[in-house]
Amino acid sequence: MSIMQYNGSAVVAMVGKNCVAIAADKRLGQRALTVDMDFQKVFPVTDRTYVGLPGLATDVKTLSDRFRMRVNLYRHREERVIEPETFANMVSQIMYERRFGPYFVEPVVAGLDKKNKPFICGMDLLGCLNYANDFVVSGTASDNLFGMCESLWEPDLEPEELFETISQCLLNAVDRDAVSGWGAVVHIITPDGVITRDLKCRMD
Amino acid sequence: MDRYSFSLTTFAPNGKLLQIEHALAAVGNGSTSVGIKAANGVVVATEKKTGSSLIDVSSLEHMAMVCNSIGMVYSGMGPDFRVLVSSARKMAQRYIQTYKEDPPVRILVKELASIMQEFTQSGGVRPFGVSLLLAGVDDRGPNLYQVDPSGSYFPWKATAIGKNMINSKTFLEKRFNSDMELEDAVHTAILTLKEGIEGQMTEESIDIGVISTLPAAQSDGKAQPTFKRLSPAEIRDYLSNIA
Amino acid sequence: MALPAEASTGFKFDNVKRNQLLGDKGYKLPTATKTGTTIVGLIFKDGVVLGADTRATAGTIVADKNCEKIHYLAPNMYCCGAGTAADTEFTTSMISSQLALHSLNTGREARVVTAMTMLKQYLFRYQGHIGAALVLGGYDVTGPHLFTIYPHGSTDKLPFVTMGSGSLAAMSVFESRWREGLSREEGIELVKDAIEAGVFNDLGSGSNVDVCVLTKGNVEYLRGYSRPNERVFKEQSYKFAPGTTEFIDPAAAQGEDATAMDVSA
Repeated sequence: MSIMQYNGSAVVAMVGKNCVAIAADKRLGQRALTVDMDFQKVFPVTDRTYVGLPGLATDVKTLSDRFRMRVNLYRHREERVIEPETFANMVSQIMYERRFGPYFVEPVVAGLDKKNKPFICGMDLLGCLNYANDFVVSGTASDNLFGMCESLWEPDLEPEELFETISQCLLNAVDRDAVSGWGAVVHIITPDGVITRDLKCRMD
Repeated sequence: MDRYSFSLTTFAPNGKLLQIEHALAAVGNGSTSVGIKAANGVVVATEKKTGSSLIDVSSLEHMAMVCNSIGMVYSGMGPDFRVLVSSARKMAQRYIQTYKEDPPVRILVKELASIMQEFTQSGGVRPFGVSLLLAGVDDRGPNLYQVDPSGSYFPWKATAIGKNMINSKTFLEKRFNSDMELEDAVHTAILTLKEGIEGQMTEESIDIGVISTLPAAQSDGKAQPTFKRLSPAEIRDYLSNIA
Repeated sequence: MALPAEASTGFKFDNVKRNQLLGDKGYKLPTATKTGTTIVGLIFKDGVVLGADTRATAGTIVADKNCEKIHYLAPNMYCCGAGTAADTEFTTSMISSQLALHSLNTGREARVVTAMTMLKQYLFRYQGHIGAALVLGGYDVTGPHLFTIYPHGSTDKLPFVTMGSGSLAAMSVFESRWREGLSREEGIELVKDAIEAGVFNDLGSGSNVDVCVLTKGNVEYLRGYSRPNERVFKEQSYKFAPGTTEFIDPAAAQGEDATAMDVSA
């Protein structure tokens, strides 16, 4: 078994019309044993940028703390809020620093920039950025998510439509992945604010 | 010689660090530099002072590009300036490596200032014998900053440093207005230098650097504001317009 | 310092021991994104043409259908990357930074050999552990130059080169059709055909063709020069009716909990 499957995870981000969404499952397992059903893998970076960290849970914790520290330092030093793309570059740099001893996390960044333009990107565990203008997926259910998103995503979804699409993509993907699921959370980032919803999920 | 002027790290009873005062005196001996922030950009200009007519002025560089969006000029000691240019460029590249965008001017200024401050407090070193003017464009628009040997820094609309600083500043106070376009600012900068220059002013004897904000139409693309040192031919055009 | 002390330069090795332990315990360590890749370059009459496909793979999954493999090095130099995607990305960006400093400090445009030497010395130092296979092209004071640089630090200087998993397919096109003194149009066309040979015959390469033409004092970056694999968009819409997904608003739920919790007894 790969170390990336040890805890189980699924994260997906999607672009809509003037909005983006990021969603993740909430399971924390030790291989087949479920330990927690409310384990957060998506973290707010700013009011309009979120980062999803699927992978090894210990690294999820370490990195989310590290990113928070760096973002706070950035805010204090530069007296401005970090843009999603700038944040993604910072994350990528932090990941690549450990090129020869990586964190087992494949981050996903989603947010709206200062002009309210949607931004999403994914990364591998070495920090190689993968920009997309449709969707990015990551985690143990990523193959399933690719399939779901390729068929369900379409351009210019309004926030509520985007919610349904990303939710259905995630729910149906994790239902075919044994080690992720058990609850899910969706954040829809719009110019007016973030809508956060907990999804009703199969619990098996 | 009084006993407070040797050690860098000893305050004089009047609360001053004399070595820093002396460093400022070194700046005051240096050739004049002016900077003006226009509505759509910044200009910095300096006099290339030469001790002898035998010096090949064309190879003197009193101005440096730090990264695309920032340039700097100095008054004071040339060798000290080069050290600061080299570290400023490295700092800028490091910022670009991390965030994939040019540093905001204020961030670079802060960082340079902190290096200069370190040299007022460390053992075995002396303060830098230069004041700097940094011109740049970022999210907040055009910026003009001065950094002193003490490590203090100031944002300016227009200012001057070096030998003729007092007269030049008085001149700028009269001439400056914030609606000024970059072209006018270049003229004003030249006129300011001209006030204090000894002898003839030619395209060889001054250095001018400009950076302008992008026209709104371009600001969405990858185009970037770029600091540019004017060529002797360009300076000659400005000079002929004035005369 | 504009960057916190922890953003130091150079690699960090604090996870290495742990990762090794996990590996020894039998956990498979994940593989990074690779660019299966077809990348090519050729010299024509007035300069250099570089070309690349746009597929990035993670195992057998296509991780990115339209990634950029032609990296910026300097205003007169670009570099195609194959191999471990992160390595090509960061190696070129680091060398690009050094070249920027070099040309600021010297007041000249950097030469292609300078970039080539910096890249090979860097890659040799890491003994092949940085998996970047590069095609470097540029135009400097001494004319057009084209190099390949292998992950271990060896280099070639040739009039036409290919690299990556699609290199054989692409080379077959070059070997049969490259000649000295190609025109600009012929050069671009040949590069496009070579990349398309990779796109269609090598499974690690796919999607579109990016082309970059470097001539004296000019660079033309043609992103998506050829797009032979355009996605046909779905005929039907698969939007869900509002209310399909059952959810609770966690903020509201918190409120409920607070009222539901009775600790009076």
